[in-house]
Amino acid sequence: VTEYWRSLGELEGAPEFEAARHREFPEGAADTPDGISRRTMLGLMGATLSLSGLTACRRPVEKIVPYVQAPEDMLPGIPLRYATTMPFRGNALGLLVVSNDGRPTKVEGNELHPTTQGASNVWAQNAIYDLYDPDRSRVVLQGGAEKTWKDFVTAWTPIYDAHVADGGTGLAIVCEPSISPTEVRLLDLLKRRFPEARMVTWAPLGDESRQAGLRAATGAEVEPMHHLDQARVIFALDADFLQHDPGAIRLTRDYAAGRRDPHAMNRLYVAESTLTTTGIAADHRLALPSGRIAALTLALATELGKLGLAVSGVAGGVGDIDAKWVAAVAKDLKANAGKSVILAGAQQPPEVHAAVAALNAALGNVGKTVLYADARGSRRSRVADLAALAADLKSGNVKTLVVLGGNPAYDAPADLDFATVAAKATNRIRLGLRVDETSGVADWHLPAAHFLESWGDARAIGGPLSVVQPLIEPLFAGHSTIELLALLESGKETPGYDLVRDTWKLVLGSDFERRWERTLHDGVLAGSEPQALTPPADPSAIAKLAAGKAAAGGLELVFQPSSVVYDGSYANSAWLQELPEPVSKLTWDNAALMSKTDADGLGLRDGDLATLAVGGRTLTAAVLVLPGQAVGSVAIALGYGRSGGRVADGVGFNAYVLRTTNTLGIASGLTVSKTAGTHVLAVTHEHWSAEGRDLVREEDVGAHGDTHGHEAEGEPEGHAALVSPWTERTYEHGPQWAMTIDLNSCTGCNACVIACQSENNIPSVGKDQVTRGREMHWIRIDRYFSGRPEAPESIVFQPVPCMHCENAPCEQVCPVAATVHGESGLNEMVYNRCIGTRYCSNNCPYKVRRFNFYNFTKDTPETLQMAYNPDVTVRARGVMEKCTYCVQRLARAERDAKLGNRAMQDGDAKTACQQSCPAQAIEFGDMLDPKSRVAAAKLSPRRYDLLGELNTKPRTSYLSRLRNPNPELSA
Amino acid sequence: MSTTRARALALLLTALAPLGLQGCLRGCSSSEPPVLINYSMFNQPKYKAQAASKFFYDGKTMRPPVPGTIARGHLHEDLVQVTGMDPDGKPVAHAPLATDDALLARGAERYGIYCQPCHDERGEGKGILSERAKVPTANLMDPRIRAMPDGQIFDTITNGKGLMASYRYPVVAHDRWAIIAYVRSMQKKTAEMEAAK
Repeated sequence: VTEYWRSLGELEGAPEFEAARHREFPEGAADTPDGISRRTMLGLMGATLSLSGLTACRRPVEKIVPYVQAPEDMLPGIPLRYATTMPFRGNALGLLVVSNDGRPTKVEGNELHPTTQGASNVWAQNAIYDLYDPDRSRVVLQGGAEKTWKDFVTAWTPIYDAHVADGGTGLAIVCEPSISPTEVRLLDLLKRRFPEARMVTWAPLGDESRQAGLRAATGAEVEPMHHLDQARVIFALDADFLQHDPGAIRLTRDYAAGRRDPHAMNRLYVAESTLTTTGIAADHRLALPSGRIAALTLALATELGKLGLAVSGVAGGVGDIDAKWVAAVAKDLKANAGKSVILAGAQQPPEVHAAVAALNAALGNVGKTVLYADARGSRRSRVADLAALAADLKSGNVKTLVVLGGNPAYDAPADLDFATVAAKATNRIRLGLRVDETSGVADWHLPAAHFLESWGDARAIGGPLSVVQPLIEPLFAGHSTIELLALLESGKETPGYDLVRDTWKLVLGSDFERRWERTLHDGVLAGSEPQALTPPADPSAIAKLAAGKAAAGGLELVFQPSSVVYDGSYANSAWLQELPEPVSKLTWDNAALMSKTDADGLGLRDGDLATLAVGGRTLTAAVLVLPGQAVGSVAIALGYGRSGGRVADGVGFNAYVLRTTNTLGIASGLTVSKTAGTHVLAVTHEHWSAEGRDLVREEDVGAHGDTHGHEAEGEPEGHAALVSPWTERTYEHGPQWAMTIDLNSCTGCNACVIACQSENNIPSVGKDQVTRGREMHWIRIDRYFSGRPEAPESIVFQPVPCMHCENAPCEQVCPVAATVHGESGLNEMVYNRCIGTRYCSNNCPYKVRRFNFYNFTKDTPETLQMAYNPDVTVRARGVMEKCTYCVQRLARAERDAKLGNRAMQDGDAKTACQQSCPAQAIEFGDMLDPKSRVAAAKLSPRRYDLLGELNTKPRTSYLSRLRNPNPELSA
Repeated sequence: MSTTRARALALLLTALAPLGLQGCLRGCSSSEPPVLINYSMFNQPKYKAQAASKFFYDGKTMRPPVPGTIARGHLHEDLVQVTGMDPDGKPVAHAPLATDDALLARGAERYGIYCQPCHDERGEGKGILSERAKVPTANLMDPRIRAMPDGQIFDTITNGKGLMASYRYPVVAHDRWAIIAYVRSMQKKTAEMEAAK
């Protein structure tokens, strides 16, 4: 039996971990933050009770406030769904947003849109928090003083007139990347009006390197589209396509689809410096510094050349790279030519991307697994433009600087010193959601409208056009980018609705109203996908790779997008800050991720502060030792150390201060030195630990594609199956709800965690509470390693919601029957019966129950109250809670079926986690219905129940993880 | 005062103290809302339907949909179905839905909820409003209304007429056609009865 470990502490048997394990709950879980003991607390509570008697809490008086003019088709309390589009890093995510009484409360994927196909990711889910964030800017500010939008329009008029006269000399506009047809149209008009103006597109995590590489290899302005469902062999070169790619939802779905059939499963090879979700999914993973990926690509090309592939002019050995590994991968790629794909990460230099394009072409993958989309119409981030603007600013040639969204004062390369030079412009106008770093250097700050509040449009990369439909009028009278662009261009105000319709009149042509309404309704314009391109790639691109040796003793620093706050634009979300980063399980922080070898060499441990110095710039950051991190490589997530909101302020370390124009992805020559002091890192990987029980299972796909059943393994060690001492309840009438989670599909992306939080009004508790093990997520994603910490043999993600045991141990110990069993097999919580004994949590073998140690929701800001799901109780202090299988959704589905006078269908009721999962790893439904997907999944030979030997009879089952190792490498 | 009696008094006072502190819980009349000993989760910090808001200028938690937006499942491609008018703006003679038992049953139910209080169960305009307040109410069995095109009745329900309010919001378009189908069936019966006389 494979030994699994969850953290290095567990692997080494560190005394802190041993102590924590035997405590069942983390130390301090029952203490108040300032160390008041439980007994003192009871005394205090007694005092509060008698005091509250004096003030006499009377039942609040609630007023009924109906619509004066009710909108047609809308009934109070019955949610509607609107299709809209989320502009996301130059891509467009098609969404279906739930609106409760005209307030958006939940984001879901639009099943008609190819980028999401009904699924979503953490950032799409977070749109609700982003919209209702109490820290959003509410008024127009000029030099810190409150003004109105009218004041700005008045102030803009003379500036406009002056720039019309001088043709836009000294006018600079900074935009975010986008493929919005309306934005493109307005920018063209702007360019015509102000021919001398400087237009800059900037995003800190752009895709510039890949574009440059593809330009070099194909001579065309294209963006790649990968069809992973067609691929048998996938090789990711430092590419975290399952998490950080703008199209990750679609890629995850296709990747998971290629692993569903055990007889025809794809094989994933990953070579990367830091451990990512893609690396965890890999069948074979090679830890290699990012700076050595070029050498690996060259070695791969050499091996492919030996196998007879047309790669000319390649000469180079494999150097210090594992020759056997490269040879095996090359052989596998060659054997699956036309059904394989190679991807390279955005931080890799252009030469690697060019070589990858040439290799894909040589393997015959282009047109099959790799297609290209014409990118000429889209505005993409270019750091050279930003650098030119900074130079202009520095020399005082910019009179008017307009920053539309984005946050260059925070995330521009450090060598440009953007915040300082921007202050040299006379007029500094900034449109932003929050008063942040860039607003700090702006003269005028204008509140922006959120995408859920404004009209707009977008095109998905290589995909269809869609409209951004507002769900609510702007909460803080914000204006959208296109509205400001129209004002800048014409000096007049035009509503966003008219601007978008003007563009779409050109797109749709005749029969406009009917086609426009259909597009709004569907959230996608059918048939508007551009023709996919298959440009030939120049094989000589490979020869340009330089196979540099690793610098002796030198470390490299890799700048990574954060898997939670992305580039920092989502940093003010308490939902995301508290979301454990999928790989490191770190919350409320980022850290310099190091290999154990490097950390030991420098005498560093988790939480030690260290000074990172590269290129004459320094940053002091906390260190976290990450299993699987390549030796010689240090990774740090961008997007932390912000100022611009109560949540984001002072969280983590700002890695942008080390990032320069030439080192956007990888910086070499890093030195790390230990600094005095430590930093508390709220890491959740040891919470709710497994006591070495057999919780995750994985198996190899056999040589004939068969899976050998796990039943053969016999009883789990140390425990014979228990039997019930009483007659067990039977469940004969449907629906009997049940769930299966396929560990073979799960990529650990966290979409389910945030979807659950949004659906079920789960509070965020803050860093201090997380360190005490009090995070409230109803579904957690455990992560298990096996093997050595430097090169783990396998890593498995396991999402754990409530098991809804038929013989639930929690129910038997509740003294007040606050947790009881329902007719449909649900383990139900009756919140207002709960007196907070926490016996249930003690007795739960899966540790899925969460306790409200404080009244976390008491001071919920007014705007965040709008984000809560009205169908779900907001829990108060002293109440236990846990996953309910989204009982409110089940009840609604049953009610709708009854009202519609029809039987429930499989798929009528979907839990939030199931719906959001891009890998479709979760099945849910009536297990008594033999035609249901969940019943079919329960019959899979890979199915197992967690701790089934305890006779808890969980309704949630798991399907074991399958590995598809290359026989040449697994020997 | 002996120590025992003092102790007994102290005990009695202690026992009664909570009652005094918490005021009258039962049996007293008060204009104030009732006292809650356990306040938890009675009033949750979330926006609910038809509730008051301190944030929005109109004091409502319910927001009107943004003009021009279309919710999933609420796309009306067939304008006749939602306006009762043909492309020339004339009321259509016949409902765009086929009349069947289900539609009639739905119509009868909706009629009973929304129309009967004024137009009475026979559609003769002798409902409670006409009876008590002498409000002139249309007799749906009148030959004028019998001869009216379906689309015009639909328009009257949708937009109201005279003293009759608009029923656009509570009665969705499909239900309006169902009500018309039901009224037509009543008219047919009335006509048959008249012919039989």
